[in-house]
Amino acid sequence: MVWAWFIVLLATLPGLWVADLLTDSLAGTNLVVFISGAAIVAPCRRLKRWQAVLFAACVGFLFEARRPIPLGTLPFLLAGLSIFLTSNRILLRNTPLVLRGAVLCNTLACTAWFTAAGLRAGAFAQGDLGDFTLQLLIQVGFAAAIALLVFVPLALIQDAAMDRTGLPPALESP
Amino acid sequence: MRETPAAEALPSSPIAKARLYLVFLLFAVGFGYVIVGLALRQLIQTGDLKAQYDTQSRRVVLRPPSRGLIYDRNGYVLVENRIRWSIKADLLALQPEIHRKYLALIKAERVRGAPVEFDKLQDKARLEVLQGWLDRVWYVIDEVQPNKRTGARPRPVRPDDEPERRVNAADLRKHLRERRALPFVLVTDLAFPGSGRALRPEEGQRTIARFIDQFPVNGPISLQSDIVRSYPHGSLAAHVLGYIKDTDELPEKVNELADLPMDNLQKLQYTGKKGASGIEQTFDAVLKGMSGWELWTKTSSGYNKELVASNPAQQGSAVNLSLDRDIQCAAERALAQIKDSKGELLPGAAVMLDVNTGEILALASQPTFDPNRLADRVTQVYFDEVDGKGGWMNRAIQGLYAPGSTFKVITAIAGLRHGIVDWDDILECGPSFRVGARDFPEHDPAGYGQVNLEKMLAVSCNVWNYMVGVRLGQPRLAAEARRFGLDTPLLTHVSDLVNGSPYELPYPAARTLVVPDAAYKQRNGFGPWTDGDTANSSIGQGYILTTPLHMACVAASLARGETRTTPSIIHDPGRDGRHVGAEPIGITEAQLTALRSGLERCVTEGTARTVRIPELPYAAKTGTSEYFKNGEKAHLAWIIGYAPADNPAVAFCVLVEGQLDTSTWGGKTAGPVARDMLTTWARKAEAPAGAQPPSDCQRK
Amino acid sequence: MDKHRQGATASYVVLALCAVVWVVLPAAVHRFAQEAFAEFQAPALHLAGKARDLARFWELKSRDKEEILAASRDLARANAALELQLRRYEDIRKENVRLREMLRYNPPPEYLTVVARVAVRDSSTWWQRIVIRKGSDDGVRAGCPVIFSDRVIGKVAVAHHTTSEVDLITSPNFRCTGFLESDEQNRIVLITGAPGRGLASGRSRVTAIPQDYVYPVGNAPKVTTTGLGGVYPAGLILGHLEGGQRTTQDGNFRESSLTPTRDLFSLQEVTVLVPKYPTPGEILLEDQAQKRLDELR
Repeated sequence: MVWAWFIVLLATLPGLWVADLLTDSLAGTNLVVFISGAAIVAPCRRLKRWQAVLFAACVGFLFEARRPIPLGTLPFLLAGLSIFLTSNRILLRNTPLVLRGAVLCNTLACTAWFTAAGLRAGAFAQGDLGDFTLQLLIQVGFAAAIALLVFVPLALIQDAAMDRTGLPPALESP
Repeated sequence: MRETPAAEALPSSPIAKARLYLVFLLFAVGFGYVIVGLALRQLIQTGDLKAQYDTQSRRVVLRPPSRGLIYDRNGYVLVENRIRWSIKADLLALQPEIHRKYLALIKAERVRGAPVEFDKLQDKARLEVLQGWLDRVWYVIDEVQPNKRTGARPRPVRPDDEPERRVNAADLRKHLRERRALPFVLVTDLAFPGSGRALRPEEGQRTIARFIDQFPVNGPISLQSDIVRSYPHGSLAAHVLGYIKDTDELPEKVNELADLPMDNLQKLQYTGKKGASGIEQTFDAVLKGMSGWELWTKTSSGYNKELVASNPAQQGSAVNLSLDRDIQCAAERALAQIKDSKGELLPGAAVMLDVNTGEILALASQPTFDPNRLADRVTQVYFDEVDGKGGWMNRAIQGLYAPGSTFKVITAIAGLRHGIVDWDDILECGPSFRVGARDFPEHDPAGYGQVNLEKMLAVSCNVWNYMVGVRLGQPRLAAEARRFGLDTPLLTHVSDLVNGSPYELPYPAARTLVVPDAAYKQRNGFGPWTDGDTANSSIGQGYILTTPLHMACVAASLARGETRTTPSIIHDPGRDGRHVGAEPIGITEAQLTALRSGLERCVTEGTARTVRIPELPYAAKTGTSEYFKNGEKAHLAWIIGYAPADNPAVAFCVLVEGQLDTSTWGGKTAGPVARDMLTTWARKAEAPAGAQPPSDCQRK
Repeated sequence: MDKHRQGATASYVVLALCAVVWVVLPAAVHRFAQEAFAEFQAPALHLAGKARDLARFWELKSRDKEEILAASRDLARANAALELQLRRYEDIRKENVRLREMLRYNPPPEYLTVVARVAVRDSSTWWQRIVIRKGSDDGVRAGCPVIFSDRVIGKVAVAHHTTSEVDLITSPNFRCTGFLESDEQNRIVLITGAPGRGLASGRSRVTAIPQDYVYPVGNAPKVTTTGLGGVYPAGLILGHLEGGQRTTQDGNFRESSLTPTRDLFSLQEVTVLVPKYPTPGEILLEDQAQKRLDELR
């Protein structure tokens, strides 16, 4: 179905909003509840490649639209990741592997936007690389933990949406 | 599959084997060479190579320190440092924009079919990009720009705009040549963005705030703050305080850079400041402080990349001057009221000393200048303006003048000491005195009749002095003048606080002071000494030349009953009141009393009676001497003295240079300045200890 | 091997081409994309804000009747007192206008006020933002100051149609001038947001504190807006100066941190002050948004 990616995106939106609300409640700290990277993994198991790419790019844009990150960083990274995942579905053949994929995607994407935003905020001009690394590690570690916690419910919703659109089931372990 | 025996893989003939071994050997030697070489570099030469790396990839940036403050004797700031906000452009961050502009220019040139001059276009691109940013800065800070309400965009620079609105191509080229790694300054002083507008401080603050509050934060344009010299009272005591100028010699902190190969490291420095005149110059070593440094890594194209280490600059120490801000202010204000018939200021000088310590309370010279206008750089226009008025000269210590009748005090003392005349001797003084074939006139055509010492001082009788002077003879008269130090340079350093300048203020009159005698006249080709010269000398005319500070010292010495006073511009609460070379005057108590009473009568009923201060009896001697200005005769107005009369605390001297068409008289012209200084001093002296009466000398 | 594997290289190439095309595309396209995604999310943000309001409403509704009665009685009294004061202020305002006319005094910028509820808060190392439920449709423009009562909250960074993003005063994108309480010479200090350290959220730095500034004994001195820059009205509180002061690297000044007067992340409602005429800064910001996107090319 041509619009499957959009339906999955709509199904994913509440998850992204919940992440925003969690960020809101954590506003006293520096932590951003980031799940955009993890959100593309489950759809990548079942959507066609072009659909997965579109889906990933939209998820990326949704995160970037309201934040001072150089525009295009996250969409293109997530689109690249989705090409990789859709062409290596064997890497997502069972639940532990999918979970690993979610954590890796989320941390990778988190590193990308954090560094890009830091570059734009002139973090390197001030020359305090040690603090930058510490901040990055905290943020990335948090992103990994969030991916572990949030991925299963998010994937269940996404899978349910994909079932409704009649997409073929994902490749299971051989 | 059949295994191939190793022997089969090798050639069998001995020659072929030898060849093979030779190749192996060559390989082994080659490998050995590489490995030994690497080991050598890694293990043994590592230190050298690292040092080489450091010197090639790092640089030291030296930052000038802020200069020490200068206070008056009561702790009021006379010279301070003001925050200066400047706007700088980061050329490294602008590089992509410049490159885009460059490509666009090349394209445009090719479309036009003109030959492309790449270097010129590169310069043009850089200039245009920077100019674009400068336009935006002006757009934000300029309050008077029209049509802002309609949302007009930043306008490009116009030919009739002030030079500050334009990026100077020559400056930019110089910057790229010499300090490419540092940001390029677009606006030097945000508070005073255009030379044509002398803004009030609050307007300056407004400009700064407009930029900070409105200009977009993240971008190649940054705001930097540094310190500039500021003279909060404007031209007050400008000749004493002096001004500063740019220097490339920064006080370095070599010790803390010792573990770096400082000599080989590339050094970059901001322009520093050093004293160019006044206290700023003579006490530069105290005021200048210590530079700070930053060690940066640099990019291959020579820009600064990362800060590795740094050390802050240290501010210079403070200098406490002996000046009293309020008295100085009173002196300058009074001097500024003396004008000629065209309303132009008459040049002049005023000095006030503490009688006991010799500390200078006021040292004013007119015309003067505003050191604030020299703090950044000396413009030729302003230099010429001040020069045209003769404003660079500190007349109080550099001006050489004939002391006129104020010298009669010394003639009288010489007469008393050598028994030519006594305090109660009465001399018959007619309308003139004949020496040789020439009549020397009294300034009152009627003459003064019977004149004793007291009356002579009160009315400033010339004939009395001619008689005494001629009977004394020039050698004894000159000796007395020298005894009072009229040929001795003043303001030499007494403390070992500073080395470098032999004087507390730059270039006071020293070798040019003249106490004339026969040898002097002969040496200068004026012929043999005559009695007429002696008569002239006895009333402070002729060849004698001295400074207002010297005459103030004579007054202070008289007040203490000594011969010398060592003046100082530096405040030192521990001064013991001893003066170099001072000895008692050497006249009897009665003679001294008569002398002082004569000076008091000068104020109560004599030549200084117009500037009497009813509540403060003081002693003074006026003088009006002749000098030649542009070949014509003009008059100098003098007044020296001390106050209070019974228990002297301060001594003073005021000099005003009359012009050809002005009637200049000691008491009438110079007197009011002395009166204003004394009133201010008295008001402060009456105030309870530790309290400062309200001051009318405000920051500008 | 996965059957899709063969086409992967081609996909990567296409993606790379897309990325290049994206970079080369006109800035307007970028802005459109960003705006589209921002607007797409706007209803959700409104919903989140409204949900919070609803929760608050039910919380209030569950209160005891007597408690509410007492509160409304207090409110009525306060209201009466304020009405009286308002009348007095009206007189003062008229007098002020007259005096200004006499002195030909350049009047400070006039503001329209837009009261806005906070939708969500968003904080990270590189930004400290709140999203408010008013946007360019309500007259909000980028660069407008945002306050709460007499305290400065921040500055509008981006105004969408129905929502706006506000950079808080702790955000690295924030900069303004201030006066220190007890500095009689009223020298300008610089307030800038700074990236957070560790888990602590960002803070504002106060720089260019004169070396001879004496930190008063007792209460921490207030830092207030100068009113000189044409953006913030004078006398609004930015926060309190913290005690620990360091000398800056160049040795010319001292610097310290600012404690915001209020927990910026517990705000429910803020006021946007919209200058009657756009300031040059606002216009530049608009141009710069354009320019920044151009730079990506």
